[in-house]
Amino acid sequence: MTTGPISAGIMPIVSEGSVADAKIGVRLASRLPARTDDSDLRELTSLAVQGDRSAIESLLGELRPMVVRYCRARLGRVSGQYHIADDVAQEVCIAVLSALPRYRDMGRPFASFVFGIASHKVADALRSSVRSAVPTQDLPDGPDDGPGPEETVVRYIEVEYARRLLARLPDNQRELLLLRVVSGLSAEETGNVLGMSPGAVRVAQHRALARLRQMAELESA
Amino acid sequence: MTPEEQTDALLDVLARGELPDSRDPAARLLAVLLDDVDQRRSSVSMTPST
Repeated sequence: MTTGPISAGIMPIVSEGSVADAKIGVRLASRLPARTDDSDLRELTSLAVQGDRSAIESLLGELRPMVVRYCRARLGRVSGQYHIADDVAQEVCIAVLSALPRYRDMGRPFASFVFGIASHKVADALRSSVRSAVPTQDLPDGPDDGPGPEETVVRYIEVEYARRLLARLPDNQRELLLLRVVSGLSAEETGNVLGMSPGAVRVAQHRALARLRQMAELESA
Repeated sequence: MTPEEQTDALLDVLARGELPDSRDPAARLLAVLLDDVDQRRSSVSMTPST
């Protein structure tokens, strides 16, 4: 990023579109917004640390969707809802905001700092009994535009199958794949979170994916 | 490109919400999970075609 208003150049580029495959019937959501470049994120972080409100808002806007996806993937649904995971994601964002004035750029990607916090918050949530509290869904004010019952069930089965196989991976391999794919961290950023070199991440993620592939093929055989 | 580099590239593509090869069961699993946890997903379907 060079000069100009903070909002210019650092906002994610939303690339809408869909990926369809009629053969196996997978219809994925719109592509995820492109991440801000590392150098832009670093400058944005620097401004946010100095208390620039616009930079803080932009930084959170960039990081929050990644944190939410991570927490949802790690914590799953309770009573069919992501309330608990979303609450934990909110706690992560608040913790990041609180820690921001004390943050010092030591050369590590800021995302690593954020997901270090996220990892601990998720572990706390898994340990606590908060998951036993089952929130009830609020009654909608208007018509529900979401998927119908049949579609919901099919999706639920697919996702639970994915979760079940991922759960059979060693913890480190599962965490690695979630950080890389669900949170969208690079191999370098993932390595910083997990205390691994980028090279070790690339080897480990290759093994993790091969293992997942093997499990899926065995299940479908 | 080494197998490790191919996997790295595949994960990068998956992280963008794309599924380059739907015949790859591991990639499909990760794509399904990513789609489910996406905040914007609530009105987007992911069901098998009939």
